[in-house]
Amino acid sequence: MIADRIIEHGTLTTQDGRTAVEVRIPWYRALPGSCIAGAALTVDGVAAPEGSLRWTMNNRTFSFGELVDETGEWWFPLDSAVLSGDLPVADDQAEHEVRVDLKLYIPYIITDHGVLHIEEHDTKTMKVAQR
Amino acid sequence: MTSLGTPIQGVTLYSFTRASHARQYDLDGLIRKVAAEGFGPGLEVIGFSSLRGFPDRIDDTFVGQFRDLVAEVDLVPTSLAVNVDTGIRRDRLMNHDELVEYMAKQIEVASRLGFPIARVQISLTPDAMESLLPVAEKYGVTLALEVHADQHGAHERVLALRDRYEKLDSPLLGFTADWGATVTGFAPSLLEAYRRRGASEELLRQVVDLWNGFYAEGPPNTQKVHGERFGAFIGLAARNGRPDLGIDFAINGTGLFGPAAVDTWLEIMPWVRHVHGKFFGIDENGEEPSVPVRGLVRQLVENGYSGAISSEYEGWHWNNWQDPFDIIRGEQAVQRSAAVNAGSAMITDAAEARRILNSHLAQPVRG
Repeated sequence: MIADRIIEHGTLTTQDGRTAVEVRIPWYRALPGSCIAGAALTVDGVAAPEGSLRWTMNNRTFSFGELVDETGEWWFPLDSAVLSGDLPVADDQAEHEVRVDLKLYIPYIITDHGVLHIEEHDTKTMKVAQR
Repeated sequence: MTSLGTPIQGVTLYSFTRASHARQYDLDGLIRKVAAEGFGPGLEVIGFSSLRGFPDRIDDTFVGQFRDLVAEVDLVPTSLAVNVDTGIRRDRLMNHDELVEYMAKQIEVASRLGFPIARVQISLTPDAMESLLPVAEKYGVTLALEVHADQHGAHERVLALRDRYEKLDSPLLGFTADWGATVTGFAPSLLEAYRRRGASEELLRQVVDLWNGFYAEGPPNTQKVHGERFGAFIGLAARNGRPDLGIDFAINGTGLFGPAAVDTWLEIMPWVRHVHGKFFGIDENGEEPSVPVRGLVRQLVENGYSGAISSEYEGWHWNNWQDPFDIIRGEQAVQRSAAVNAGSAMITDAAEARRILNSHLAQPVRG
């Protein structure tokens, strides 16, 4: 597990009330969209509404509902995905506390309680850039 | 009498996950580094870790480049680790036919890249392995199912596979023995990582005591016992005011540090086609403090094993303060010393490794 690398430093951007940050997989191997089970994006303690969250990887953007059946696009360990949501962040020179929560299914580990899932989070502080 | 084995030295790129994830080395650079450090000649790669687009989008250009690179740096591809992603769909587990098709695509890539072995995983039942045998035959790839904690060489699921292998009598069906199934202590480097996260010495002592108790009892023979042990670690963390560490204690204490006896490997030894030299760290004396590397190498040598041992450093999960390349260098020195002490030697020459690996994989498993 490499949870401390989930958030890519210096990648917080905002435009017209939507805010985005680049994220890395905290795991050693690629996972398909169907195994990316959920996320949360929080800036300065305010979370983006769940329904507004979008996930971009391999130049395609998905809602988390659309990821459920997505077994064709994979999150490769070297690639940054982009997590975005409705969240106004003031365009100033202040440092912002960014938190990302991720829930991932590990598809080859089947337990008595179903497919193993892991929940990881990362918090980093950075400035925001206007897109 | 079995003649002494000559295991082939090697490494899996999994050992360097932290460095590759940090983009310090791309695949080309990491393979060159492994060769330059002398960590080969054996080279193991995890498809879903190192190969972009695996398995559907591996084109012939990439295959050619990979083969050329491996030839240039004189490494010997041993095993492509493939994954049995039974749970890839959210609504249900894959059915038998889906699983066979999913695995066949990965096995084909192993063949195209020049890997003689595909490491497969425990979710494959004896029936699934039987269904995959024609795929193995089509591509000439040995399927080596990994025996990993919390299973072990004498586990009922493993013995059921062994019995099916015996019936099918093919040299292309076997096991990858992962040394993490036969660990003798809770890894000190992980205790150090917990210490750095503020765990008290008293809590760490209790974690070690709990694991040592399970070691004394032996490995769990049922999923119920496994679950009870998992829960015991969580309970211990909660009672000590550190519930945040509970899942971590439990996953590592039951899933990484398997407490089976070394001689459990003898149950499946004739079918062991590949070995993961799983380990967690090297101490100030140059030894692995929680994996009995010397005894495991001796066992392989004395049982005539001449396949590859991929050094598999797993401490990268928690150890962010030591260089994994130094740690691999240290562990391979222990392996070489152990092989000499057992009256043999690890194979470090690539040409000799190719010859010996071909012979090892071609022989009947019970030969």
